[in-house]
Amino acid sequence: MKKPDNAFFSRVLMMGNEAAAEAAIRAGCQCYFGYPITPQNELTAYMAKHMPERGRVFIQAESELAAINMVFGASVAGVRAMTSSSSPGISLKQEGISYLAGAQLPAVIINVQRGGPGLGSIDPSQGDYFQATKGGGHGDYHIIVLAPASVQEMHDMTVEAFRLADHYRIPVMILADGRVGQMMEPIRLHEDPPPPVPPKPWALTGAKGRPPQYIRSLFVEEGALEKHNYELQDCYRQIAAAETKAEETETGDCEWLIAAWGTCARISKGVVRKARAQGIKVGLVRPITLWPFPHEHLARLAHQVKALLVVEMNCGQMLEDVRLAVNGAAPVHFSGYPGGRIPTETDVLNALTALAHSQGR
Amino acid sequence: MKPPKNCYRRPTSLTDATMHYCAGCGHSIVHKLLAEVLDELEIRERTIGVAPVGCAVFAYFYLKCDISEAAHGRTPAVATGIKRALPDRIVFSYQGDGDLAAIGMTETIHTANRGEPITVIFINNTVYGMTGGQMAPTTLVGQQTATSPAGRNPATMGCPIRMCELLNTLDQPYYIERVALDSYAGVVATKKALLTAFQSQVAGKGYSFVEVLSPCPTYLRLSPQKALQFVGREIAAQFPVRIFRKEGVPVNA
Amino acid sequence: MHERILIAGSGGQGIISLGKLLARLAAETIPHVTFFPAYGAEVRGGTSNCQVILSAHEIAAPIAEIFDSMLIMNQQSAAHFMAALDKNGLAIVNQSLCKVHADSRHVLVPATEIADRLGSAKAANFVMLGAWLARKPLIPARAIETAMASHFPDAPAALIDINIQAFRAGLAG
Ligand SMILES: Cc1ncc(C[n+]2csc(CCOP(=O)(O)OP(=O)(O)O)c2C)c(N)n1
Ligand code: SF4
Ligand SMILES: [Mg+2]
Repeated sequence: MKKPDNAFFSRVLMMGNEAAAEAAIRAGCQCYFGYPITPQNELTAYMAKHMPERGRVFIQAESELAAINMVFGASVAGVRAMTSSSSPGISLKQEGISYLAGAQLPAVIINVQRGGPGLGSIDPSQGDYFQATKGGGHGDYHIIVLAPASVQEMHDMTVEAFRLADHYRIPVMILADGRVGQMMEPIRLHEDPPPPVPPKPWALTGAKGRPPQYIRSLFVEEGALEKHNYELQDCYRQIAAAETKAEETETGDCEWLIAAWGTCARISKGVVRKARAQGIKVGLVRPITLWPFPHEHLARLAHQVKALLVVEMNCGQMLEDVRLAVNGAAPVHFSGYPGGRIPTETDVLNALTALAHSQGR
Repeated sequence: MKPPKNCYRRPTSLTDATMHYCAGCGHSIVHKLLAEVLDELEIRERTIGVAPVGCAVFAYFYLKCDISEAAHGRTPAVATGIKRALPDRIVFSYQGDGDLAAIGMTETIHTANRGEPITVIFINNTVYGMTGGQMAPTTLVGQQTATSPAGRNPATMGCPIRMCELLNTLDQPYYIERVALDSYAGVVATKKALLTAFQSQVAGKGYSFVEVLSPCPTYLRLSPQKALQFVGREIAAQFPVRIFRKEGVPVNA
Repeated sequence: MHERILIAGSGGQGIISLGKLLARLAAETIPHVTFFPAYGAEVRGGTSNCQVILSAHEIAAPIAEIFDSMLIMNQQSAAHFMAALDKNGLAIVNQSLCKVHADSRHVLVPATEIADRLGSAKAANFVMLGAWLARKPLIPARAIETAMASHFPDAPAALIDINIQAFRAGLAG
């Protein structure tokens, strides 16, 4: 007789991709639609195995275009739905995401980023920051973007994404990277009940006992689109006020500030320790929500520090938001890694010490 | 000095790069046959290929002709663009089952329906090789893959799509054949089919389509030899090997 | 304690599965653990490697530049990685398949030969693990033997047995 798996082990060690998949299941995701792409294949494979076991829906769609539109359909019907992909596939989903945003439909989308543009590489990257945070499809919209830096956060943020999506009727993206997706760490699984599903009187469930209703993103009556867009903007303001999140490390007395997200923030945390050991008083601010962006954290800290260093695995994308937030209060420098290579602590420490020396400690 | 006629040698159209394909993979065989055809028809220097997104994405390292990449599945659309821009060039697309029959199904059908005078080489190995062995549109019923861990279930995942048959319902295609890389005879037949397809394009005829049932030992989880047998017995049982369309006319089974 | 470990060899040597087992076991007694497998382009050409970091404190950078321990299973990996061994580090080298220069930090173990004699060259990874644990007892050796069956629920008992013997041989050698 086979021993059940895990008989010996008390802690759960999971890969980021699988941790997100398990979180979706625990958050009450009823429908998952995917299409294979590296480096997120384990997520799709996990759902292929575990969704049908629970009588839930798994479809390997014929393309990402199809997958996101299946999510649209499930969401129209009022159930929790998710899709996942990596950069080239997310580009294909952008059309659907624009329609979800326009129709105010909740959805969870996981992007385990890889290098770009084009096919790029399958190595980790943060090249999709602009696409994710500036509204990657057409039209005047935003989606909520969460940036995990650990396997635990892949798990927790996926649960949270379902709550946010339903609460605000908005697509939520988890913007991870190949590193977080492929890495394994011990995690605490979400044991609470799924976030409660709010009433969805707008969902299309058949006009039994009520007048027929519709879901739309087309507003041709005079003034209707303007009104609709103002409504969206109202919603975005509420989200910004209530959901903006950032993590600060050693910022109390810092004279220098690193701003980084996801994997780069984790590396920068190690740099903060090392630099402080060398007498450089540096702090770290890590946006947890990339949209809404934590402008206020940066604006406040900018007045306290001699300069900022933005660290990203791209050629300078969050950098622009940091500059906007800092608004000239301190110089903003950049240390970027666009080739699928993850910076080492030494890379970032060198950039920081060079900055500290050039600006005079 | 010209080598003797029967001397076995590397085709001129094949580079001497070591192929990255797994042992026993059908892609390497088809690359070689394709190179031989380009040599024999003396069209290497006026041929432009479009590589798929799939294990053959690096075809340009191995074939000594111009080759463009394309986005996943958009391969025949890119080939259409090239052929319309340069009608006197020989244009082919080379695609796997995911690229051609899943994400690129729309492009596949409409390119054939317009009768674009290009050659489409379709490597049907019944799985997604490059991404790690997921279910393909051509995966057999019951076949286990990374995304059909309990085997392909027709009730929720559909049945294998027969592309030759499907394209044969259209009026415009000129030549459609399915071959199987299951044996020496199968390799010879594949070469012949490729030759016919390219010859029709050289002669200025319409759309040609060659489907090659091809082993992926890695994700069929079989030894190279067993994978060949699987192609001949199981895969060919689902996908009949024959000519479907000749000189624009459907051929009865 | 902060131990940065690299396991490297060729595909089929059980590099990734050994790394996962090590990470999983370590997580039972060590608070912070990360496991990272090389994936995709890095593994083409048949090489395989993974990193495991074990730490008493929160692990900031989940990737290491310098390693405290290395388990090196083939020549290609020896050539590629061994320069990144810490000056006080320890490298267990599979002598059956690699030649490395003499260095007090290197421990040579004919892992493939030992495993082959025990019945399966594929168990060489466990010889390596045993040899490493004999010198760095970060995890109770007994735990590995007990955990083996839980970690490989689908493996036949005979294979588990060879793995355990291989592990013991490494531990003793
Ligand atoms: C838009 C997009 N989605 C997904 C992928 C990932 N991807 C790469 S190859 C491939 C499928 C490969 O299967 P197939 O076409 O059958 O070729 P094979 O490798 O079997 O020859 C996929 C899904 C991608 N590159 N781009
Ligand atoms: S995975 Fe399959 S299709 Fe890809 S190279 Fe290997 S054998 Fe060929
Ligand atoms: Mg295929």
